[in-house]
Amino acid sequence: MLAYAIKRIFVLIPTLLAASLLVFIFIHLIPGDPAAVLLGDTATPEDVAQLTREMGLDKPLYTQFVLWLGNFLQGDLGTSIFFQAPVLSVIADGAETSILLAVMTMFWIVIFGVPIGVVSATKHGSWIDQVSSGGAMFAASIPTFWLGLYLILIFSVTLGWLPSSGFPSISDEGGLTNLRYLLLPSLTLAAPNAALIIRLVRASMLDVQREDHVRTARAKGLHPLRVAYAHVFRNALIAVAAAFGFTFAALVSEAVVTETVFSLPGVGRLVVQSILRRDYPVIQGVILVIVILYMVTNLLVDLAYGWLDPRVSLK
Amino acid sequence: MKISLWWKSAMAGCAALVLANSAWAGGTLRYATVGEPPSLDQHVVTSDLATTIAHHMFEGLYTFNSANAPVGLLAADEKLEDDGKTIVISLRKGVKFHNGQEMVAGDVLASLNRWGEHGSRGGLLYSNVTGIEASGDHEITIKLKAPFGPWKNLLAFINGGPAIYPASVAAAAGKEPIAPENYIGTGPYKFSEWKANRHVELVRHDGYASIEAAPDGYAGARTAHFDKIRFIPVPDVGTRVSGLKAGDYDYAESIPGDLFADLDADPNVKTILNGGPIFGLIFMNSKEGPLKENYALRRAIQAALDKVPALQVSIGPEKLWRANGSFLPEGNVWYSDAGADNFSRGDTAGAKEMAVKAGYKGEPIKFMVSTNYAFHYDQAVVFTKQLAQAGFNIDLQVYDWATLIKKRAQPDQWDLFFTHHGFVPDPILISVMNDNYPGWWATAEKAGLKAKFTGTADEAERQKIWSQIQSAIYEQVPTMKTGDVYTYNIASPKLTGLASSTLIWPHFWNVDN
Repeated sequence: MLAYAIKRIFVLIPTLLAASLLVFIFIHLIPGDPAAVLLGDTATPEDVAQLTREMGLDKPLYTQFVLWLGNFLQGDLGTSIFFQAPVLSVIADGAETSILLAVMTMFWIVIFGVPIGVVSATKHGSWIDQVSSGGAMFAASIPTFWLGLYLILIFSVTLGWLPSSGFPSISDEGGLTNLRYLLLPSLTLAAPNAALIIRLVRASMLDVQREDHVRTARAKGLHPLRVAYAHVFRNALIAVAAAFGFTFAALVSEAVVTETVFSLPGVGRLVVQSILRRDYPVIQGVILVIVILYMVTNLLVDLAYGWLDPRVSLK
Repeated sequence: MKISLWWKSAMAGCAALVLANSAWAGGTLRYATVGEPPSLDQHVVTSDLATTIAHHMFEGLYTFNSANAPVGLLAADEKLEDDGKTIVISLRKGVKFHNGQEMVAGDVLASLNRWGEHGSRGGLLYSNVTGIEASGDHEITIKLKAPFGPWKNLLAFINGGPAIYPASVAAAAGKEPIAPENYIGTGPYKFSEWKANRHVELVRHDGYASIEAAPDGYAGARTAHFDKIRFIPVPDVGTRVSGLKAGDYDYAESIPGDLFADLDADPNVKTILNGGPIFGLIFMNSKEGPLKENYALRRAIQAALDKVPALQVSIGPEKLWRANGSFLPEGNVWYSDAGADNFSRGDTAGAKEMAVKAGYKGEPIKFMVSTNYAFHYDQAVVFTKQLAQAGFNIDLQVYDWATLIKKRAQPDQWDLFFTHHGFVPDPILISVMNDNYPGWWATAEKAGLKAKFTGTADEAERQKIWSQIQSAIYEQVPTMKTGDVYTYNIASPKLTGLASSTLIWPHFWNVDN
């Protein structure tokens, strides 16, 4: 397994190179000039040209890419045009929020999605199954911005129990209690994803339940709960593991709407704002981090396959 | 037993969260902004948001009172000599920077020189300056080529204006925006921290030396009651409104017109109009294309537009807009109705006839607008329809703001573009007065009037000349004003000391909770 993991890590390098080149080309294809955005309405064309030169944006694209790549290989993602701060630190600020939000959201997905999916499958065809399947469809259909606004209205404006928006770092005053700021956003983000997991767990378990080894286990007189856990659920997890992996990566990169509604300083909102400001180094850096996250997640999911199913050979 | 313990722990956790939630600091004012400014360096940045934050930290020699007249802030007094060509400004004594140093003439000299050389608006004054020196520890002397009417307004306008920094900061910065760690001013609040995407935080400057006069606009005594002010970026307007109602913010800016009636009637929310209106402008291309020097065609386009429906559609409640043809609002010393008969004629038939006489044969007219500002796009759609009805072939091109400002610098890319302008205290600061601003209006008539306008310090004379310039704008149509928009903010009713409208930008000295 170790050799397999090392081999996969080496495969990351050409993939990263290709991804960074594509990102670089695409962001420079968008019209717009970061110098003009930065200098504002009163800037003269000379001011804009001078700042463009100072930022090195007047150089040919291939020169800019080679320079960027050289710095990247030395661990330097450049300096944010807008924040005038190292890109790595700008991303790190956003990453804290995004990762904590993703972890909390995964927590809700696991504690709601998996048990409801299991119950729905074991009570297949009953009213419990119908209610949970209907509920999952409903949760999957609700737009996150709508759900987010209603949660704010109920829990923040009306009841005053939870903050409506923002997220102070857990290293700031308040420490871990600042996690309360992420309760409503994580529930908002969890709703459609938990629905997906409910459906997936239910479908996988129903598939496994029909297999011979499950019938044999039942015929041996094993307790139904033991059959459900040891023989059905564990086998059904193989399909669910992949979904968990990609859901986690997607939660970090695709939480733009939730981050906007709850005004969270995460990487999703950062990349959107950076596109509007034409902050090329930040866009490039964030997308690269997201690519790495997806690739690492993919690797971990593959490794998890080997752990969950010893028949899967990792070579 | 295990389950019971689990539940107890969970309930205790929830209780802790709720309690922690209610334990917000009473000494912090939380201001929800629409975004983040690029920098707070007032010399080089003209963003209104930057000034909203920065004018709590940085001060200029002058500021504006409630009548928008410039009055002393760091300046104690001034005298004009040599027929107005020499200005001697004496400075207040005992004013301390946030780093504890006393402000002296050397700091003012370095700051003015940096602003004059690299500042956004400094060139306007400095192109007329022949010399500037520290003529005493607390005295500055400015020598001009000729009397220059707008000097005091330019020194008072802090947005892109001459904030006074310590000499060491101004000299070290050069043309680069000053780094946050060097944000050192003389204002009632001082810089604490800037966390990207989270907040900009200011804390009270306990050594602040206030003027001892009754507060009047931005002038007079300034008292910092809050320990801290946090400016928190909250881009979603629904979240700004909900956050204020939930008590997470004390003040929230830029709320759309369609929420005004409800919020104005809500006892838990205080609505605050921005006293200085912003106004939409449609610029015409004077360098290239069908509108270049074809003033008759420009007037035809102007005649086709009816601004009222566009304002109704884009802004909503009548309290928030005025179909006002004067470039400065009613009640302001620069208010003028010269040429304003042509502001909003909405004469479709007349415009069609005028266009034919001007030689227009249905060539496409490229009209650029951005969706970043909803009212730009909404108004542009109404105007496109009106122009089409008058026979104009309008090619509406919709971009994001960054693309629009890139394209507008290229004269072959557009014929009309939509933007808006913030309130300014002197018409010389309106972008159409700048020959280099996209649109590039630089005719001989303008040059002559502009020279007269800046060449006299007589206010009555300047107002008369401004009327003539406004007339020329309606005649040569380098730009078309689309009407005044009074944006508004909302505040917690717990805040005391807030006026029912702001002068230009909100301020929180003399405000308490």
